[in-house]
Amino acid sequence: MIYFDNAATTRPNARSVERANVYLTEEYFNPSALYRGGFTVSEEIKRAREYLLSRVADPVNFDLTFTSCGTEADNHAVFSCAKRGNAVTTDGEHAAIHASFSELKNRGVEPRFARILEDGRVDEAHLLSLIDEKTTFVSVIHVNNETGAINNIAQLAKKVKAKNPRCVFHSDGVQAFGKIPVYLPKEVDLYSISAHKIGGLKGVGGLIRRKSLALSPYLYGGGQEKGLRSGTENVFGILSFRYAAEDKFSSLVKDAERIKEYRETLASLLDGELFKRLSPVDGTPYILSVSAVGLRGEVLQRMLSDNGLVVGTGSACSSKHRFSRVMTACGYDEKTLDGVLRISFSPETTEDEVKRAATVLNATSKELKIRTK
Amino acid sequence: MEKVIIIRYAEIHLKGKNRGFFERVFFVNIERALKGLRHELRRISGRYLVEGFDEERVDEVCERISRVFGVHSYSVGYQVPSEMDKMYFAAKTVCPKEGTFKVVTHRASKKYPLTSMEINAAIGGRLLSEYKNLKVDVHDPQSHVYIDVRENGSALVFCAFERGRGGMPVGTAGKGMLLLSGGIDSPVAGYMMAKRGMSVECLHFHSYPYTNDQAKEKVVDLARILSRYSQTVALRTVSVTHIQEEIHEKCAEDLMITLLRRFMYRIAERIAKKAGAECLITGESLGQVASQTIEGITSSNSVVTLPVLRPLIGFDKEEIIERSVDMGAYETSILPFEDCCTVFLPEFPATKPKLSYILQEESKLDVEALVDEALQTTERIVL
Repeated sequence: MIYFDNAATTRPNARSVERANVYLTEEYFNPSALYRGGFTVSEEIKRAREYLLSRVADPVNFDLTFTSCGTEADNHAVFSCAKRGNAVTTDGEHAAIHASFSELKNRGVEPRFARILEDGRVDEAHLLSLIDEKTTFVSVIHVNNETGAINNIAQLAKKVKAKNPRCVFHSDGVQAFGKIPVYLPKEVDLYSISAHKIGGLKGVGGLIRRKSLALSPYLYGGGQEKGLRSGTENVFGILSFRYAAEDKFSSLVKDAERIKEYRETLASLLDGELFKRLSPVDGTPYILSVSAVGLRGEVLQRMLSDNGLVVGTGSACSSKHRFSRVMTACGYDEKTLDGVLRISFSPETTEDEVKRAATVLNATSKELKIRTK
Repeated sequence: MEKVIIIRYAEIHLKGKNRGFFERVFFVNIERALKGLRHELRRISGRYLVEGFDEERVDEVCERISRVFGVHSYSVGYQVPSEMDKMYFAAKTVCPKEGTFKVVTHRASKKYPLTSMEINAAIGGRLLSEYKNLKVDVHDPQSHVYIDVRENGSALVFCAFERGRGGMPVGTAGKGMLLLSGGIDSPVAGYMMAKRGMSVECLHFHSYPYTNDQAKEKVVDLARILSRYSQTVALRTVSVTHIQEEIHEKCAEDLMITLLRRFMYRIAERIAKKAGAECLITGESLGQVASQTIEGITSSNSVVTLPVLRPLIGFDKEEIIERSVDMGAYETSILPFEDCCTVFLPEFPATKPKLSYILQEESKLDVEALVDEALQTTERIVL
């Protein structure tokens, strides 16, 4: 099987799971415990926190709170910061932000959604026009999880802060962290990350926070994570996150360059009469969205899976929610939306897999086209 | 003082010489419903008694009994030796503490020293002096306390009657093959036939890869929910993918559903006969969708010889939903996995197709070969 749905989740990195295993079977102590075992574990978590943080931000000015997933990090950011006035985000967000913003309405905060361009990036001018003196919170996804387009969040954050210095700027970095070079400028207040997108375990995420920003707790209890997120730490998960990240960051730039080549190879091998490319060339190397125009993506996905190739999709046979919200916002027509496939790679992807995948994609799409002509 | 459940059957008492058959099936069905729970089931003069169960699990026992067709009503009560003190103590436990009441004694053992009226008076009197807010009303009481003095020296004391689902014991009215989609209607149709005592077997048509595994899994879940009532053992699935593709390629677009349904009926009949089912059951309700007009029904009916039972034919959607909720299938039925892909759905399906038009379009297909091919894809999922 060729697994090309790495934007959904990745295969846990075997070496990091093995390294973390000691914290599952031997060092199983509660990090809050005061005896030596507990203390050792809490030190390990501290080191993991420092390591992960130092990869993308200055540990002097930023801190990292471990959460149970990227969605929790996003929710924590939204509901701790958007408490009055209005909050601005984009049409290209992951559901974790989009649905949270829809909920803001019920809590008396006006959500505003900025348009996105055809490739999935936010329409900067429109975003800025939505920000006024009453804006308390702004969230812009770093790497669009459907098209792979990259928003220049450093620049956006600067412009947003220039317009309203008091608002909090958040970015969902789940598809960026450990995949593309990131360094958070001081204008970015909050940044969400997730372990299982880079070979860590499911069940661990994190919210990076500028230290001077006061945040209200998300879960109350024993006061773990500096009181921001109580609950016994997922020690094994956190350490698997750290070790997986070590693996990824050690060759991040080299991997990204190589995968970018693969992405272009695949794009060029796909039959131009069957597929239309939707992902921008300057987007993340790890995501290639295409549309088998006129075919039903979900059906194609199942046939591909039966032929040994696993990819993601942006459409469903269901008559409700048939099309991807984000792809619709990009402005594609129905036939294009119907056939959306998201092909996503990991550093483990090989050239041979890419070539075989192209053959399967072409043959399967052709077959479906004939069967439903 | 032992907690017991008294079960009474519905229509079986109307039966004559074959009543024994119905009673035996009913007994077996209750046993089956209570499988896995500690209990003892006994027949006592036209009623059934469940004893020896875990008293903490009485709600679960009742819930399961309430799902058995043929149960007219059941009561949770106590079984005590038929001594006045013991009967009074049981009556005190089941009796409400306020309002109006009346004691009703039934004395099967005529050798008992007191008459029914005397027992009523004695126990009623003691209850009155025990609970000050209780009053007797022999004409229209808010609650009854029933005392059944039995011949074996014991008595049953209970207060409330819980309504059962009625109907006839499943397995007393032949076997039907239910065409089960993933929607709201077909599970209810199966339920209705099971209620009249029919054993129901399920058949589902899918069109993988145009429909997904979740949709199929949902149908399995629905079949499981139905089987709590109907004792369905297995669900058969058949792929109609190729049939849909052939219709799509060769025939008029507006007849997609009409022709597909004719295929489904043909396949269902073949499978029904093989499985020993004597009829087909569908969830059709007149005029609900394009294929459920009388013309549509006539067209699909004409390809089979087995009777097709449509217990929902005169039901409104609302009534069907009510029953679906009642049987516990609704939440599963409305999950958003569709059993038919929109790829093949015509924009304007024919609502009143003429038979000549249907036959003309159908003649473009090798019907027998397609049916045989589809039958090859039959899978049997044990529920």
